[in-house]
Amino acid sequence: MGNSVASVDERETADTRGRIGDVDFALIGHQESWRAAADVLSVLRGHEHMPLPEDEIKDILPWIPPRAVCHVEVGSEVGAKARGIYIDSFIPPDCLDSASLRDNLARVRGAAQCAIKAGAKIVSLGGFSSILIEGNFDLLSEKHDTVFTTGNTLTVAFIVRGIKKMCALEGRDLRRSTLLIVGATGDVGSGCARCLAPLVKRVLLCARNVERLRKLAEEFRSEGIEVEVATDSDQAGSQQFSATADLVICAASLPSPGFRLRGIAPGAVVCDAGYPKNLAPSAELPDAKVFFGGLGQITGGMKFTPDFRGILNRHPFPDVVHGCLLEGMALALERRFEPFSRGRGFITPERVEEMETIAALHGIHLAPLYNGDGPVECVHAASEKQY
Amino acid sequence: MESNVDLSCSLPGECPALSPTALIWQDVLAQAMTGELVAAMNYTALAGICDDPAEMADALEHAQGERGHAAAFASEGRRIGVPVPSNVEAKHWKRLREAFMRRIAERDFIGCLIVQEIMLESFAVASYARVGRVGPGSLGKTFAAIATEEEKHIEHAMAILRAERDLDTPRFDDKVRQLHFEVMTTLAEMLARECVHGHCEVCYGSCVKPSLFGISLSAAELRGASLQQYLRTLDKLGLPGEVTLAWVTQLPV
Repeated sequence: MGNSVASVDERETADTRGRIGDVDFALIGHQESWRAAADVLSVLRGHEHMPLPEDEIKDILPWIPPRAVCHVEVGSEVGAKARGIYIDSFIPPDCLDSASLRDNLARVRGAAQCAIKAGAKIVSLGGFSSILIEGNFDLLSEKHDTVFTTGNTLTVAFIVRGIKKMCALEGRDLRRSTLLIVGATGDVGSGCARCLAPLVKRVLLCARNVERLRKLAEEFRSEGIEVEVATDSDQAGSQQFSATADLVICAASLPSPGFRLRGIAPGAVVCDAGYPKNLAPSAELPDAKVFFGGLGQITGGMKFTPDFRGILNRHPFPDVVHGCLLEGMALALERRFEPFSRGRGFITPERVEEMETIAALHGIHLAPLYNGDGPVECVHAASEKQY
Repeated sequence: MESNVDLSCSLPGECPALSPTALIWQDVLAQAMTGELVAAMNYTALAGICDDPAEMADALEHAQGERGHAAAFASEGRRIGVPVPSNVEAKHWKRLREAFMRRIAERDFIGCLIVQEIMLESFAVASYARVGRVGPGSLGKTFAAIATEEEKHIEHAMAILRAERDLDTPRFDDKVRQLHFEVMTTLAEMLARECVHGHCEVCYGSCVKPSLFGISLSAAELRGASLQQYLRTLDKLGLPGEVTLAWVTQLPV
């Protein structure tokens, strides 16, 4: 389709035409599957109309320019409120690969322009959007008062907290564990590594970029942490890693066919925090304790207009949202309109703690853990009862 | 179907050495020429309700321009050896024309601009631009050049429409909504991947849509590009994107 799909007239950006009212935050996202995309269009179309056939949706959706889809209102446990919009970049669900990079970047830029045009004070870049813009904020227009955050700091906070919770549920001792991080040099992967490396016995880092891997490993070694590295293409090394690790975080920005998780150690705790999901639903991980990481739950109330509950946030628990999007909401509730997460490799344990504190103050906490089969904690509780 | 433009060949079969895609182009040109002739009639009618002499002159000039476009399409047909029929009474075009004439009857200048400039021209600009990319030689250049000219029409109208919207935004947006469902429903049926309600009465023989792949086009692409252009035009006017997207999703497919 080319860049035209995402372009927004610069003159429109400069004036106030089309402003939606007070917009504290904007969330930029896209749909992960055609089923999800169909559900979004179905809500917009209205329940009085027959749903569009899937083949028509596949024909139409790629032509939709990025735009606001709904209004979002969130509340805080301390009484704060914030208003926002959800902007869909309408990246087709089957175009999340590198072949569509240029068009996807144009779409994210177009979505960012929509947020600026709406007068959003802070913008969270959800899912693939943050990966595309990560480290490339200069791709976004500078002539505005809107700030952008990737939201990765809160994502890291929830991944780390999820790992700790799962270990507690499984009776694992973090200090005796070997942690493998796939996608270790990305913003989320390196943030998780910095938070968890000092707490485990050994760290295994896997990524595509050799130079970044080497630098990260040097950083840990200088702190006395035992660390080993392997690239995705190093089949022997990565297979040995997966057989050795008892904690695994998948944080790759693309599905990782080069990395063989099939040989993962029985009973390993596996956090799939990648976007798109790094583990295919068909992935066979016998006896592994898999959960989806990086998700939080907002307890002070969240309202979509029109009602997109369970459609934009497709989780088995209410008011569960990706951490990256929750970061923008938390900062808006706190009235801290600043680019908290920006660039790649700046997520430190201190920043994670600071963001987690802000989120917790407003009732945003780690979501109940679940995986493709359903809630993890209920399953665990049931199995506990058996013993 | 009668032709409004002088043709050098009466039937496609009478011209020797037709290219394999000539008959596809004949239908594409027929659709475009019919649209241009409807636009010319619309602008002529619009001139009749203009109080401002300058606006009246503009409308008449536009009408003349659209007739020129129709003649250019007919000329491209001659160049490839096919006559280009037109039929402003074809069912979809007739409905579109009637919708426009209802605004004329109400002396609703703004309504006329919305129908012609925002809805019909969005369709023309987007589809001509796509055709311009794949059309061979002079034919492609003609489509591309006319797409550019039509885009200038839209820009001309945008200033008037923005000023009108600023006066009373809810009223303006409601008018656009009403016209959307009246006019865009017909356009959406025209643009559907298949003509499920029978022959469009413009294509010379059977429906051209299934054959468009022969000239590297598809009905789905033309529809997608047209709706995208329409949404972007409404964005430029300042209508809320979430509202206009909902309207578009409610159109027939």
